[in-house]
Amino acid sequence: MTVTLTRAKSDFPRTGKPVSARRMLLWLVAPSLVLLLLINAYPLVYAALQSVHDGSLINTGDYVGLDNYRATLTSPAFWRSVQFTLIFTVVGVFGSWLGGLGLALLLRTRIPGRTVFKTLLLLPWVVPVVVSSTAWNWLVATPQSPLPSLAQALGFDTPLFLADPVLAKITVCVFKVWISVPFMMMLIGAALAGVDHTVYEAADVDGASKWQQFLHITLPMISRSTYISWILMTIFCVNDFPTIFLLTGGGPVDATTSLVVLSYRTVFQNFQVGPGVAIAFLMTASLVVVSVALYRQIRKAHV
Amino acid sequence: MNTIDESGPGRWSRRGFLGLGAAVGGGMLLSACGGGSASGAGQLKFWDMPWGQANYTAAAKKLTEAYTPANSLPAATYQGIQWANFSQTFSSAIASKTGPAVSTGGGFQAFQFADQGAIAYADNVIEQFRKDGTLDDFLPGQLDAMKTSKGYAAVPWQLDFRVWWYRKSLLDAAGLKVPTTWDELLTACRTLAGRKVFGFGTGAGAGNNLGSQGLHLMMLNNGGGLFDPDGKVDVVTEANLEAMRFVQELVRAKAVDPASISYTTDNLITQWKNKKVAMGIHTAGLDTDTGETDGDLQVMSPLTGPSGAKAGLVFQNNIMMYADTPSQEGSEAFLSYYIRSMKTLWQQNVVAGLPVLKSIVALPEFQAQKQKAKIIAEWVPVAKTFAAQSPTLFGGLAAVDSSQPVTQFAQTVLAGQDPKPALETLQKALEAIVK
Repeated sequence: MTVTLTRAKSDFPRTGKPVSARRMLLWLVAPSLVLLLLINAYPLVYAALQSVHDGSLINTGDYVGLDNYRATLTSPAFWRSVQFTLIFTVVGVFGSWLGGLGLALLLRTRIPGRTVFKTLLLLPWVVPVVVSSTAWNWLVATPQSPLPSLAQALGFDTPLFLADPVLAKITVCVFKVWISVPFMMMLIGAALAGVDHTVYEAADVDGASKWQQFLHITLPMISRSTYISWILMTIFCVNDFPTIFLLTGGGPVDATTSLVVLSYRTVFQNFQVGPGVAIAFLMTASLVVVSVALYRQIRKAHV
Repeated sequence: MNTIDESGPGRWSRRGFLGLGAAVGGGMLLSACGGGSASGAGQLKFWDMPWGQANYTAAAKKLTEAYTPANSLPAATYQGIQWANFSQTFSSAIASKTGPAVSTGGGFQAFQFADQGAIAYADNVIEQFRKDGTLDDFLPGQLDAMKTSKGYAAVPWQLDFRVWWYRKSLLDAAGLKVPTTWDELLTACRTLAGRKVFGFGTGAGAGNNLGSQGLHLMMLNNGGGLFDPDGKVDVVTEANLEAMRFVQELVRAKAVDPASISYTTDNLITQWKNKKVAMGIHTAGLDTDTGETDGDLQVMSPLTGPSGAKAGLVFQNNIMMYADTPSQEGSEAFLSYYIRSMKTLWQQNVVAGLPVLKSIVALPEFQAQKQKAKIIAEWVPVAKTFAAQSPTLFGGLAAVDSSQPVTQFAQTVLAGQDPKPALETLQKALEAIVK
């Protein structure tokens, strides 16, 4: 090994790599680059082409310029989907963050059965969405389901959790928060574990209340993780297809149709490939803008 | 010891590593670019959907593998395809030339792919059936719907019906006779609502098309439909409006469960099982789906609408051949074999749908299924396709059945809202889809 290190030092001086070494490195990364191009760039370019054509799933069709984008941006269904996507994302991100933060803080204290509690709390995240959506359907779908039955027993009218447009929106958002809280709990729990306890001790000595410590120490110290979790959850929410589609299919009367669901239905149910892909591109563009804005916040973060 | 270029046994040299990388990358490129035909080592690929309970696929696979091709024609391999995302499965396979040579699929899939040049027309098979007498074995009118201006897009092999069902015990308990007209249906629904039972069981939730198909059946029953005789979208008609106003009346009479607009197929079947539904429109397999074949669930005779018309809604499921095949003659030979031999599937009672061949209808195994036999006897003669009033099927229908506008329309009407604006919205939306 000594020989190796010696030779390595002499062949690759600190000042720069010789051309042959650079060429070799290029060769080494070339297969990965080619694969990346094939896997990512090709479908992206093909999809971009489809968005400016009037084609089917098999044929590209005629070039129509920006007609698909124009039709999408003037469609009331698109803007209804934008509205629901915003609601779903805001509730999903902040609901799960608040729940995750609360549980992470709770689990930081010494409570009996903490490990078992942690494991059980992870279940909504671990269980496949197909299973959990079926369970939620069983909970709320028919008037004889457990939650409507409970509401009736308490003297309320039978709530139509999935059939009433407003209640369906609420149900889908709550379902998303329920699924996502464990992920947030893990992320924030890890951030909290990295906060130095001596800072709290110093604050105690200075007479800071628990609430002041939370506001002025805990939140700033975990701000970087918080922004990262918001970026990730924003992407998860905007791109979330199964949670909505399995529970409501986007209904009733499109009340829970998000952009990704609208894109899917346009392409694969209405067979309007160009407009469907245009929706997906507009969605991706807005997601990039939001992610960049949040990423800038990370750089400004305290820690 | 020089470890940089060391290449002893079990170790990799840089050249070796690069060579392996290039080989793997090249191999992947070749396999990606090489595509493939509809053959696996010269064999015909037959793709089939799950048309019955779990034992269906095994029986269909056995039937496929029993095919012995004549002379140099290729043998066939069987591949089961799930309904989930089946459009993507077929489209991506056809686009990448890795699709089947022969397949079953969605009821309008053959017409959709025919419009895109991916279908091999079945005229030779039909001609052969004409010569050997098989053609006479088809139930009346079944082949006509497959005909397009370029030829027969496919060959029908089974029928998927939407019919009215009722639970005898619930009607008996309410002292009701089985309705035969819309007026009697409404009266029965009102009586049943007083007993907290729904008279129009339906569902329009995630993945459930029974709601929209039920409304379509009501339109057909009143002499309406979604298309005019030329195959143009024609939704806002007096016949359709009258039919939907009748459905609105049913909603007002509390015949429709308010939660049903979000019911999946499973939710709806649960409501039938729980005896919350006394009557409703469903597939021909409701009794087997609920596990109740004791005769309490029975098929009604076709209802007479206000104009005196009777109608049933039928989807003619078919077997299609694709242009991309290792042997067109082989595809035709296999399709002919499958149609002639498929009676074994009904003898084993593994298919949910109804047969298109008279010889299968006559089988004692099929006649023992009383509800299905009743559908053949009473509903087939008045059956109309999804394309009604158009006499032939066409590719645009694939985009209509289960499309977003149709589902939205069903949810709107079943929620009791004014059907006229709903019909107008549907007209505009379907015009954008069906070109």
